[in-house]
Amino acid sequence: MRRGQLTVLSAVLLIIGLVVGIVIGYFAIPRGPSESDIQKIIAERDQLKAKVQELMNSLKPGEVTVKVWTIGPDPPSEYRLKNIEIAADILNSMLKTLGANVTVKVEGEFFVRPVEWAEYKNKFYLDYQAGKAPDIYLTGHEDIGFLAENNYIIPLDDYVNQYWDVVYYDVIKTLWDAVKYKGKIWGIPQDTEARPLYFRKDVLRALGWSESEIENLPKKIRDGEFTLYDLLELAKEAKDRGLVERGILHRVKEGYDYFQFYLAFGGRLWDPSSGKMVFTEDAWRKTLKWFYDAVYEYGVISPNQFSGDWDNDFHLPFTEGRALFLSGGTWHKGEWIQKGLLTEDEFNNNIGYALHPAGERGGKPVTLSHPLVYTITKLAVDRGVADVAFLLITIATDPHLNSYHSVQSSHLAILYSQISDSRYTKDPFLHDVAYMLDYTTFIPNHPKWGDYSRIVFNILRAVETGDLGPEDAFNELRSEIQSELGDAVIFE
Amino acid sequence: MSKVLLKERIRRFYRGYLAVFLVPSMLFIGIFFILPVFLTFLIGLTSMDYSFRWTWVGINNYIKILSDRWASKILFNTFFYVFSTLALFNVGLALLISIATTHISDVVGSIFRGIWLLPRITPSTVYALLWLWAARGEGSSLFNWLAGFLGFTPIDWKLRYPWLLVILVNGFVGTSFGMIIFTAALKSIPEDYIRAAKVDGASTLQIIRHIELPLIKWPLLFVTAYQTLSLFTSYEYILLVTNGGPGLYTTEVWALYSYHLAFAQYGGIVKFGYGAALATVLVVIGVIMSIIYLKMFRFRELMSEPKIEVM
Repeated sequence: MRRGQLTVLSAVLLIIGLVVGIVIGYFAIPRGPSESDIQKIIAERDQLKAKVQELMNSLKPGEVTVKVWTIGPDPPSEYRLKNIEIAADILNSMLKTLGANVTVKVEGEFFVRPVEWAEYKNKFYLDYQAGKAPDIYLTGHEDIGFLAENNYIIPLDDYVNQYWDVVYYDVIKTLWDAVKYKGKIWGIPQDTEARPLYFRKDVLRALGWSESEIENLPKKIRDGEFTLYDLLELAKEAKDRGLVERGILHRVKEGYDYFQFYLAFGGRLWDPSSGKMVFTEDAWRKTLKWFYDAVYEYGVISPNQFSGDWDNDFHLPFTEGRALFLSGGTWHKGEWIQKGLLTEDEFNNNIGYALHPAGERGGKPVTLSHPLVYTITKLAVDRGVADVAFLLITIATDPHLNSYHSVQSSHLAILYSQISDSRYTKDPFLHDVAYMLDYTTFIPNHPKWGDYSRIVFNILRAVETGDLGPEDAFNELRSEIQSELGDAVIFE
Repeated sequence: MSKVLLKERIRRFYRGYLAVFLVPSMLFIGIFFILPVFLTFLIGLTSMDYSFRWTWVGINNYIKILSDRWASKILFNTFFYVFSTLALFNVGLALLISIATTHISDVVGSIFRGIWLLPRITPSTVYALLWLWAARGEGSSLFNWLAGFLGFTPIDWKLRYPWLLVILVNGFVGTSFGMIIFTAALKSIPEDYIRAAKVDGASTLQIIRHIELPLIKWPLLFVTAYQTLSLFTSYEYILLVTNGGPGLYTTEVWALYSYHLAFAQYGGIVKFGYGAALATVLVVIGVIMSIIYLKMFRFRELMSEPKIEVM
């Protein structure tokens, strides 16, 4: 090739390369936010700035301390507190920019195991009497009824309206139902979750399942083609063939997870029109029978499961592949990774997740959500820090900050914009389980829900240990709920 | 004023003056011993919960206890737990260890008794956890490993024999108290009695039966009475080991039931009123047991003069 031709060819190739590069660049490089998005963000910031300015004028110069209590009890949920601390840093820099002579200090506590929910709540109520309770109190949404009835917390409707355009328009709509009691808003959602049924793909492979069959299991469950009794059959097969020591694991202490089985058999927990709790007789009968069968007919749940310990009877048998199914929560994935029980790769290769199957063929599969909420106590009002406390919650209710929490602890988004947040979207697990929220139920915000829950736990534990047969258990459950809760429950 | 009258007045003043010194301790007893019982009784007449409202309900809580479907089972559990632990360990084994270790060399005896003090000084959660590990269902757990030597297949001890576990856990802790008291009592028996018996040709068993046991009768009765009352109100280790389970109130005792209802509910619902009424019943049982022991063991006589000569 002559030199001139080579030059022309190089020039042509260069031009083609440039054109191709420009075209690729045009499509591949993320474009910035649209003009309307930018205007929206500016408007939000301006509103926030105005609120901060308003607040600044109402505060006396000096340091304002806001006391905050949060709980895991799983350690990865530390951003429940950290985000409030970050919010305080942001607020302080805003105040500084505005030339205010005020700083905000967060005095926070994040409780983890061995502190459990009961102790945490106990401490709150007792400390409240001593005037030492926090200004911001994170708790389960189901406590709102009792806290509101007894003036421990304040309604937040006015605040939410004030800051609606700053962030609250963005809160996933169904979550507002979980924080309302008697028509008012009493808490700001901090996170939510789904409770998946985890399964070991490697065990299913050993059972002879093909990859496509394994990948299709969540869909079969979603379509109601794989029921709770199919679950027992499959767990029994794996156990009989010596592939696992245990078939199904569920939580080892009192909680709310096992109500999913009742929901799967068509039970209802709450009647929205009357605000009462519900006892669906047929569903409870079937649920108790299912648990009895699981332990004594199929031998796939240990009779001592409710007396076990978290590591040896829940996490380890599953993460080590000694159990086929685990009825858990999305946050357990975060816990397994953080504790080093599984790597991301091991999780992706060997663990699958689905809804809890329907009780009967054609029924609806279920999951249960238990949003945690930030509440503001009456003490915060007495101490004159309620406005600052709410502003901290508002700043912490941010798609980026909340996504730190979601990704680290495997909890689900509370804001629509979070779903497209870069951190959030990078987590395939959170993406995959998002659909479960279409199948979710909340536990009732009823002041006597704790009694309902306690009675169910005692009876269920007795069924598993063999103290009560399914029919006796049903009769005991019904009569105890009736005598303890009477009119607060609808029997149907 | 006569001299006698003056003396009398001074004496009275002096007595009054001395009584002032009793005020701090009386206050202490009033605030920390009598007031809690009184408050418990009062709260038992309310439906108090986390709202901390004094809503008076009269004797409703006590009527509820009578109709509580689990009360009779829990009461039976309580008596079973108290008297089994007492007979087998807190008095039975404590006595056995004391006698055995005072009949061997002092050094070995002291070491042996020191070992028996370890459960008492181990933090309760750590101690309970060790037992839970030992009793697990896997073949590798301590209980199953030992049972394996005898040809038994592994079992979940907590599920199959929860009472055995509860009594063992409490008993190993409770033994030390009686052991110390009995050992001290045995050591304070004058050596002359033992020597005289030996000269008369008495065997060790005869010495124990006819000399030592009759001479430590009072400490024996004291430990029995004290430990009965103490066991009635104890629940710490049961809480840690079985939490009243594994089945339906299988190992739930009265004090634990009261604790569960008053303080430890997952859902955050508590029943201070009902829990306090249950605790009041426990106080009443304690008082009745105390009266029985006082009458049966003639405590007045016990307190009047030392029954064992101090060397």
